[in-house]
Amino acid sequence: MEGLGINLGYLLVQIFNFGIMFVVLKEWAYKPILKMLEDRRETINKGLEDARVAAEARANAEKEAEKIIAEAQAKASEIVREATARAEQAAKDVRAAAEAEAAKARETALAEVEAERNRILADIRGQVASLAIAAAQKLVGEALDEKRQHSLLQEFFAGVQDGRVVVLGEDELKGSEAEVVSALPLTDEEKEMVEKDLLAKTGAETVSFRVDPAILGGLVIRVGDQVIDGSVAGQLNELRQALR
Amino acid sequence: MNERKWRWGFNRWLVLLFIVLGFFAAKKYPPISPHVQLPAERLSHDPLFTLPGIGEFYLTNTLVALFLVDLILLAMAFAIRRQTSKGGLGMLKGVSGALEALFEGLYNMTESTAGKWAKEIFPYFATIMLIVLISNWMELIPGVDSIGFLEKVAEHGYAAQGPFLIKEEVAHGAEGFVVIPWVRVVSTDLNFTFALALISVVMTQVIGIRAQGMAYFTKFWNTSTLFSKPIFGAIDFGVGLLELISEFSKILSFAFRLFGNIFAGSVMLFVLGALVPVFVQSMVLLLEAFVGIIQALVFGMLTMTFMAQATQGHGGHDEAHA
Amino acid sequence: MQGDIVAAAKLIGAGLAMIGALGGGIGIGLSAHGAVQGIARNPDAAGTVQTNMILGIAFAEAVAIYCLVVALLILFVF
Repeated sequence: MEGLGINLGYLLVQIFNFGIMFVVLKEWAYKPILKMLEDRRETINKGLEDARVAAEARANAEKEAEKIIAEAQAKASEIVREATARAEQAAKDVRAAAEAEAAKARETALAEVEAERNRILADIRGQVASLAIAAAQKLVGEALDEKRQHSLLQEFFAGVQDGRVVVLGEDELKGSEAEVVSALPLTDEEKEMVEKDLLAKTGAETVSFRVDPAILGGLVIRVGDQVIDGSVAGQLNELRQALR
Repeated sequence: MNERKWRWGFNRWLVLLFIVLGFFAAKKYPPISPHVQLPAERLSHDPLFTLPGIGEFYLTNTLVALFLVDLILLAMAFAIRRQTSKGGLGMLKGVSGALEALFEGLYNMTESTAGKWAKEIFPYFATIMLIVLISNWMELIPGVDSIGFLEKVAEHGYAAQGPFLIKEEVAHGAEGFVVIPWVRVVSTDLNFTFALALISVVMTQVIGIRAQGMAYFTKFWNTSTLFSKPIFGAIDFGVGLLELISEFSKILSFAFRLFGNIFAGSVMLFVLGALVPVFVQSMVLLLEAFVGIIQALVFGMLTMTFMAQATQGHGGHDEAHA
Repeated sequence: MQGDIVAAAKLIGAGLAMIGALGGGIGIGLSAHGAVQGIARNPDAAGTVQTNMILGIAFAEAVAIYCLVVALLILFVF
């Protein structure tokens, strides 16, 4: 031990010296610095916590703002959609009105044209009759009784004889609406006659008249879904079928 | 990026001048091979006082170094105290700031190892480390280990010429002179290292008992499994006894590690200085600075680790982990 | 003359005792090797690895220190 220089006195001196240094450093250096480190750590943590809270608040505000904006956008698009729908509706209404007007105008025009044609046809009816009689006289070579000729013509064109509709049988037709098609416009008397007869024999309540030169002569009567073809064209057609 | 122009500056000429001057100085006064002595040299011929039962007490050159270390430490502590007494969280300035950064690093290290006992363990860690570091680095100061009294010895002495020794062997048996340095690094005194080792190991036991109570002693006298599992119990018991032995070997290991490293370092410094008097010592100084800080760190960190282990108890005991 | 032989034996003994430092050197080398490899594989753990490496080196060095102590005892004490 002596050779190594270890000596109890010096050892004790060193130990006491360490003790003094330990206490002094602990009191003067470690305590304040550790306290400072602790305080600093706390401050930093507090700062981080504050920052976190602030960030949260900001995030909330941003979310709120986003919500408000989204609501506003939804409302705006709703308004736009409504306005568009209303405008479309208005446009549709206008177009419908215009179409209706146009249709009405066309109908009126058509009715006028129809009336005009009927009037012209009524005008030429007499001439046609005269021409037919003249042609028949030329063909037959002898003059028929003027009165009888006229009644024949009446029958030919109007399909009525002795105040009755020729083609109409008894209780054949049932229906509420009757339509009468003639080759030339009927006179008012004839119309009245046909109407009376039809009303009496069928269950029809209303009778309408139409002119169609294509049937050549006679009458085509439609009651409900049934048709009686008493036209000359129909008879000629039948004849053609039979001869074939 | 910042490209500095390489040029022959003023400082390198200065270095070259000093090397050349050193060369001539070594020619004029050839360095002597120093005398190596394990115990600290006495500076006073008469004992300062005599303690009963312990013996005579001399002023040694390591005690002078110890007082210097104490002065430096006290100055540091006082600087820190003066700056922190004002309070506040601000950064400390100067040396205190550097110490604060050092303490912060050491404290974080302690906390990661010892957990909630860090506050108890840290002062030992830091004090041991600071004392050892400063005393180790004292050997880097020129004049330490080389300036001192001339003393007459009977053997291995050199001739003296005025206040200097010159390299002139005296005849064997005749009286020569050796230098007794005024300051010798305190880490090369075994009293110092043994004192630190004793404190470290004893305080480890104290902290272990404070942390675990009487359960701490089961580490050394482990009979808990001796009868339930005879073979492994016997092994555990033997391990406990080995732990007891290892506590004593820790003292030896602590003391001689520090002493050996620093003593070998200072011997190497002056032997190299005697062999090649110019420049070579400078490079070894750098190595010694590194060794000094490593040894301080190792001493402190081993103390800290042993203390942390003492607080955590034996691996098998669950209540010790609570 | 006898004293000289004892002195020579002391020097030889001290030199032989320091052969034990070989083990410490190998141990330090191995621990540094492992630590450097570990840091190379996981650079994030460099701090922990370094701390443990220094502790391991200190333990390995203890063996060499014992040799040094024996050598010093032989040289200066006996």
